[in-house]
Amino acid sequence: MSSIWENYKTDNAYDELMFAEYQPRAVSHTLCQYLNTLNREDIDKRKTAAELAILEMGITFTVYSDEGNIDRAWPFDIIPRIIDAREWKIIDKGLKQRLTALNCFISDVYDQQTFIKENLIPREIISSSKNFRKECVGIKPKHNVWANICGTDLVRDKDGIMYVLEDNLRVPSGVSYMLENRIITKRVFPELLQDIEILPIDDYPTQLHEMLCSIAPNPNGKPQIAVLTPGIYNSAYFEHAYLAQQMGAQLVEGGDLIVDDDDCVYMRTIEGHEKVDVIYRRIDDDFLDPEVFRKDSILGVPGLMRAWKAGNVALANAPGAGVADDKVVYAYVPEMIRYYLNEEPILPNVETYLCSDPAHLDYVLKHLAELVVKPANESGGYGMLVGPHATAKEVEAFRKVVMGNPRNYIAQPTLAISTSPTLCKNKLEPRHIDLRPFILQGENTFVTAGGLTRVALKKGSLVVNSSQGGGSKDTWIINMETN
Amino acid sequence: MLSRSAERLYWLARYLERTENIARQVNVHMNLLMDLPKDVEMGWQHLIQINGCKDAFYSRYSSSQERNVTRFLLTDSTHPGSLLSSLSFARENIRTSRELMPDEAWRQVNELYLYSNKQIDAIINRRSRVLFLNEILEGCQRFNGLLSGYMSHDNAYRFIRLGRNIERADMTTRILELGSILLSEARSPSARQYENILWMNILQSLNALLMYRRHVRSRIKDDDVLNYLLLDEALPRSVNCCLFEMADAIKSLPNHNRLPEKLAELQDYVKLIDTRQTTQTQLRVILDHLQSRLGVLHAQIAQHWFLNSTQDQIQSSPKTEEQNSA
Repeated sequence: MSSIWENYKTDNAYDELMFAEYQPRAVSHTLCQYLNTLNREDIDKRKTAAELAILEMGITFTVYSDEGNIDRAWPFDIIPRIIDAREWKIIDKGLKQRLTALNCFISDVYDQQTFIKENLIPREIISSSKNFRKECVGIKPKHNVWANICGTDLVRDKDGIMYVLEDNLRVPSGVSYMLENRIITKRVFPELLQDIEILPIDDYPTQLHEMLCSIAPNPNGKPQIAVLTPGIYNSAYFEHAYLAQQMGAQLVEGGDLIVDDDDCVYMRTIEGHEKVDVIYRRIDDDFLDPEVFRKDSILGVPGLMRAWKAGNVALANAPGAGVADDKVVYAYVPEMIRYYLNEEPILPNVETYLCSDPAHLDYVLKHLAELVVKPANESGGYGMLVGPHATAKEVEAFRKVVMGNPRNYIAQPTLAISTSPTLCKNKLEPRHIDLRPFILQGENTFVTAGGLTRVALKKGSLVVNSSQGGGSKDTWIINMETN
Repeated sequence: MLSRSAERLYWLARYLERTENIARQVNVHMNLLMDLPKDVEMGWQHLIQINGCKDAFYSRYSSSQERNVTRFLLTDSTHPGSLLSSLSFARENIRTSRELMPDEAWRQVNELYLYSNKQIDAIINRRSRVLFLNEILEGCQRFNGLLSGYMSHDNAYRFIRLGRNIERADMTTRILELGSILLSEARSPSARQYENILWMNILQSLNALLMYRRHVRSRIKDDDVLNYLLLDEALPRSVNCCLFEMADAIKSLPNHNRLPEKLAELQDYVKLIDTRQTTQTQLRVILDHLQSRLGVLHAQIAQHWFLNSTQDQIQSSPKTEEQNSA
């Protein structure tokens, strides 16, 4: 019988569970000790149990592939990632602070624009942003909150500090997987969960429901809430259905909704038309309303913007909120926190060079081979350069691209993002991870206890994206004071 | 509830009922053949015949031997009427209706589907086929029980009842057709000896044998069996009882307009059937009529509540079974 820890070597990066070889951190002590009592056969049984649970529960990532209804099971690693509740308390505060400032900024952008007028951000950055929607100028959503649901990506660098990598303010996904991961863990390690006090996460659907109710146009009575999905072919369809079900909300597609002459939104039901008060939309701005945005879109609802502007329906997130979901705007968030809240940022940004700034551009072009260079408005890791992993030829080609359109690029140092023990063929090996907590803001602000930990399953890889072979782990926020 | 959701739940129930019914048919047919001596001319082709899929079958297979027929009816994914296809359509419908049902309902159907997919090769051999069919029957019953115990008996549930019972009524007429086909064909004297066994198996295929004995309290006789399966007011799979279930669901649904009257007419029509007065040919005509009237009823349901026919004029006709299974 050999230990699953055999040859566990942390590399250059910070390891979330281990100090050095076989030296668990205080917070992961119980877990590591427990894992030590399992042999490879035991662990294999747990792994099989988890895979079976995922299949039976029907947790899928891509529901439909091009060929038809082939569903890919959600890639899940049974070994959890752990964070000390004392550290989490600070992160929780930092995330609330950040989203509050971001919402002040978006409100300001569509109203007085004082942040711009005081030259805290170049006007050009906002006017050239493709997520700035001129149609939204002058609108005031309830509680002045535009981004009601935010998924912020956090990474821990070699220095042990958690940095904000980006804020997802459009239609962030992944929260259902966070919830299902915990359900699977409860099935796989029931005895372990008995001994450790882990902060619960299963109140998220309740919190989401409360937040959505709090933004309803008419606060009296029970608002009719709908989750608007692009449909079964969307890769996050599972999540849309899951959240609607958990909240007892209606899951609707564009074709189920109609905006009438009174500028109200109605669902087509067996009883005729029924009014909708709040829409949690999982469709991008571009496809939301063919009357205003893309004319060729059939996913959305003609007239939806009219109804929203008239104040007859609440949309979460509000159209136009994506203006703050731009990697150039990201660089200004610490300044927003100081300006709008008069506070110092609790969570640091990753050091960021803006290629639109001549001095920064000069530095970036000199150090291309060490930096990560990203386009400002893409998501999903497209069109970026990872300097240390690129060939000299690729670096030179990218130099031309950046010089051709500096506004569109930012650069950051290549982080050694932290690792966590991950099961690889019955043995534990360090794999790089990130974390996406979810923050809700309506009348109140709420942060999930932890979030979705994504893991790069390939050795040495820094890419945690699910569509590129990434997996996920359960995230445990452990209360050490009572354990 | 959304028109789209109503339609999905209705079809979910139809497909699941169909899944169960195919399992019943094959199960009972297998038992029947084991009871009959080899020289009695009873074969697997009758199962193809009553399901009205002769053309589809012979375009895929050359002979109606057991192996081909069971494969066609159970696991052939190219045949939209097979058990596995029905189950997979049911799964797609419930996958897109998860917000309306208890979570266990989805898991039940999903697990049944995953299980069936693993059994594709096992059904060739009779022994493992029996186990497979039992698992399907139990799985479908678990689903129904689960809904009856866990789900609010609201409009969503009413559409499930509607779908289940229209499919069930149709299947009962098809099983009776099997009886009438066998009886009206020129039979050898040896086959005549086994008529009782045939009717017993028909009762069994609808789980009605013991109920028949308790309620009819006569020996198993063709016209008694027919009357019982068409008209009994308490047997869940009798045509009359299915119609009653549908009427009961429809009367509580909104916007039903004149549908309850139309259903009452159909109930009256059924009540007037007296199999003691009919020849075998007349019986087959009656059963054909019943099937086409159920088809009309389906179209009316679709027109009243479902999305495509009521509001959107994008698709002019209600979503038909073929479109749904495409």
